Amino acid sequence: MSRAIATLSRHLSDAIFAVLPVIPYAHKEKPGCPGIAVAAKQLTAAARPDGPVAFHDATFEIPCGCRTALIGPNGSGKSTLLRVLAGLTPIRSGQVLIAGEAPRLGRSRIAYLAQRPQLAENFPLKLRRLIQMGTYAHHGWFEECRHGDEAVDLALARLGLTELAERPVHTLSGGQLQRALIARAVVQGAEILLLDEPYAALDQPSREIIDRFLFEEGSAFTVVMATHDPADLGRFDRILEMRDGTVTTRHACSGHDHRHA
Amino acid sequence: MLDLLLQPLSEPFFVRALVAVMLSGTTCACLGAYVVLRRMAFVSTALTHSILPGVVGALLLGFSPYLGALLAALLTAAGAAWLASRKGTSEDSAVGVMLSVMFAAGIALMQQANSWRDFAGLLFGSVVSVGSEDLLVIGVTGVIVLSGLRALHKELELASFDEEYAALLGARPALMRVVLLVLVALGSVACVRLVGALLTTALFVIPAATGVLLGRTVPQVMAWGAGCALLGGVGGLYLSYYAPAVPSGAGIVLCCALPYLAARIFAPRR
Repeated sequence: MSRAIATLSRHLSDAIFAVLPVIPYAHKEKPGCPGIAVAAKQLTAAARPDGPVAFHDATFEIPCGCRTALIGPNGSGKSTLLRVLAGLTPIRSGQVLIAGEAPRLGRSRIAYLAQRPQLAENFPLKLRRLIQMGTYAHHGWFEECRHGDEAVDLALARLGLTELAERPVHTLSGGQLQRALIARAVVQGAEILLLDEPYAALDQPSREIIDRFLFEEGSAFTVVMATHDPADLGRFDRILEMRDGTVTTRHACSGHDHRHA
Repeated sequence: MLDLLLQPLSEPFFVRALVAVMLSGTTCACLGAYVVLRRMAFVSTALTHSILPGVVGALLLGFSPYLGALLAALLTAAGAAWLASRKGTSEDSAVGVMLSVMFAAGIALMQQANSWRDFAGLLFGSVVSVGSEDLLVIGVTGVIVLSGLRALHKELELASFDEEYAALLGARPALMRVVLLVLVALGSVACVRLVGALLTTALFVIPAATGVLLGRTVPQVMAWGAGCALLGGVGGLYLSYYAPAVPSGAGIVLCCALPYLAARIFAPRR
């Protein structure tokens, strides 16, 4: 009986998807990094449309493949800058190009991880499905999620989550969830990772796994990471300091540029 | 025992009611999964209550009560969204304003129509009066709602779980919210005949709340919810058949609450 219902609903839903056209979420991007991942000129932005300016006239560049630390006291605009780059917060004035385009939503090459992701509580979702959501970047409206299984498996393995794949998301620890969100960004095909204090309140194993993933294993990500930890800074190629509404480049990218030359 | 179950089936009105309650119960339970997971219970209450002025107004003006109900529900959703778009009014209070204004307008219109008795069925549901036109409306809205949920499943799930990521992918979470409100409006139109404007929201919330206790994925929540709605719907109809003092709408809602209670007490901790 239940099998008959399952078969019937399978056929019905196939019919629905056969009738409807597949419409992409956003227009496609050209792959590859154009040399400069982020180029800001006289950039000014505010956290809220009617709020005070978070930083002003920021001019800086981040080359492709460069791991950049974004440092500065609380409230100095680190989060706002990352949200501007992600396309979530509009700019007030000036201009910024990220991977050759003005920031906008719907870009599979750019991934943003908020400091505290606003996920629905107690949502019935397994970890595997959460990571699969990354493949939606390569699907469209009215399309069933049918490809990308291998990418999901690979991302699960790389972030040490394979054994947790069938666990409900709300039973995961903060560190496991953070790793899952990075895995989702990988599955999405992101080349530029915008990370807002990803190490805040992480357990040591998760921290080591994320570290290894971002800074070793020959990863070719361009990373822009807001961080508070001064011990961390040695690993970064470039440091942008935000203070009193200004952005200063403290340390230029060196060792990694050759990878993308 | 078997006779007790089979005897009502010889009455055409009971069979029509049974079909209607199974169709709309399944529809509302599946839709209810998102109502519950997104904490939209209050909005859904506002939409279902605004059916009252819609139907009464349609009867006064002389067009289809279903169309009137749908228009009123959509007006409520749009009105609440507009009120909440200005700073200083939270969405919660915007919905509260629309809910009470629309319901008061309905009561005022009922005075105009000068007959309270005709509208008792509208407020509390009247299964006896389900005709073939009602079955058609329930069937069509059910097909629209369920195909909509299926076609947009991954976007609705994503926008409900992680709204910001949906926005980052370009999957339009704000649009998904509007789609859900329209589907809830359609769904409430489908079951107002059965349980009435006052209790329709129960069909969205109770079965899906049961589903959330038992299901580990959104489709599982929907399946458990639909099962609960079918059990409660059919049980409620039999209850009000054998105990005529219990109106069918109240019977259905009370019978839906039993599986919820059972799940609440016996479900393993998720």
